[in-house]
Amino acid sequence: MSRAGHWAAQPGASVVNVLMANPESKSSLIMPGEATSTCWSCGTMRAVHFCSACGKVQPPVPVNYFTFFALPRKLNLDTALLEREFYELSRKLHPDLYARADQQEQEWSMEQSSLLNDAYRTLKDPIKRTEYLLRLEGVELEEQSKTATEKARATGEVKKQVVPPDLLEEVFELNMQLEELRMQKKMGEDDPALIEELRKQKLKFEEKYEALFEELKGYWNQWDKLVDSGDEEARGKVRDQMLDLLNRRNYIRNLVRDVNEALEN
Amino acid sequence: MSYSDKVLDHYSNPRNVGSLDKSSQDVGTGLVGAPECGDVMKLQIKVNPQTSVIEDAKFKTFGCGSAIASSSLATEWVKGKTVEEALQIKNTEIVKELSLPPVKIHCSVLAEDAIRAAIHDWKKKNNGVAQNVPATTEARQ
Ligand code: FES
Ligand SMILES: [Zn+2]
Repeated sequence: MSRAGHWAAQPGASVVNVLMANPESKSSLIMPGEATSTCWSCGTMRAVHFCSACGKVQPPVPVNYFTFFALPRKLNLDTALLEREFYELSRKLHPDLYARADQQEQEWSMEQSSLLNDAYRTLKDPIKRTEYLLRLEGVELEEQSKTATEKARATGEVKKQVVPPDLLEEVFELNMQLEELRMQKKMGEDDPALIEELRKQKLKFEEKYEALFEELKGYWNQWDKLVDSGDEEARGKVRDQMLDLLNRRNYIRNLVRDVNEALEN
Repeated sequence: MSYSDKVLDHYSNPRNVGSLDKSSQDVGTGLVGAPECGDVMKLQIKVNPQTSVIEDAKFKTFGCGSAIASSSLATEWVKGKTVEEALQIKNTEIVKELSLPPVKIHCSVLAEDAIRAAIHDWKKKNNGVAQNVPATTEARQ
């Protein structure tokens, strides 16, 4: 390759590299180009949803939900404020308002409204919000699990389970007891000791469930402080801790649900 | 969602459900979970110490139909194999055999994890014993 050719290839290649290095660009959740668009009607720099200068609805651009609400990517969030924003935007984007606008604008208002609903539903719920952020930060549970299995296969090393072994043990044991309870009920028998035991377990897990949420809020604070710090390593650490916690929490949520079901039926 | 006939067969008529004596020297136990869905799977193998052949396998899975079918199939497949042969089993082979759809691939991953975890546990218990058995490196069909 000539020297000129080499240099000519350089800018293109570096763009690709930047995109690859940025986890967001790999995610289907976001696409670039959101910041620089102008209003299709009046040419002003547009907002995500509609133009602040002329008020026209804009075609939806794929943005993440935080950006949609013009929020920083933080986990502590003023939900009252979010709610107000949501109602305000719902009103302004309501398809009824555009009944007499042209076809295009009507469609955009519908698309924007449904995007708004998704964004609101995701962000107002503390767990969904956290999970969403983790996905934005490149967490892909299933993909990562599969990759870890493939690696274990190739290297002969053991795959590390994402939840601690003693939690798995507990989950398994409790499921065995639940199965027993269901069997007994089917046969018309009843074992007060087993029921008592399961009640106790349920209380224990409910407490754990609450405690995990408190712990999660601690990580939120850490995350929010780090958001703009550019300290990738520290951010990654908090991210993984949150992921760990949510994984454990998923199991416990299922357990509480299943115990309740088995006790009630 | 609809399950394939093979999944339904294993699901309604699972092979080798149960447990082996966890404390036995010849038994390896693998307990694994998929946090995405909260499913757990236990798979146990009983290994002949002389030949390293897996002579028995049992499982118990609390999870979806595909996870139950995958682990049922896994116990069938590992029986009669040496541990080194069993380590070659790939989740993709389970996917193929059971015609699992993409959303159910993680259930087959769980089954492969369970086999590996059980073998690892057995190896740990029998430190070094397994070393003198030649490894099979050829890909199985
Ligand atoms: S749905 Fe999770 S193991 Fe099948
Ligand atoms: Zn405008």
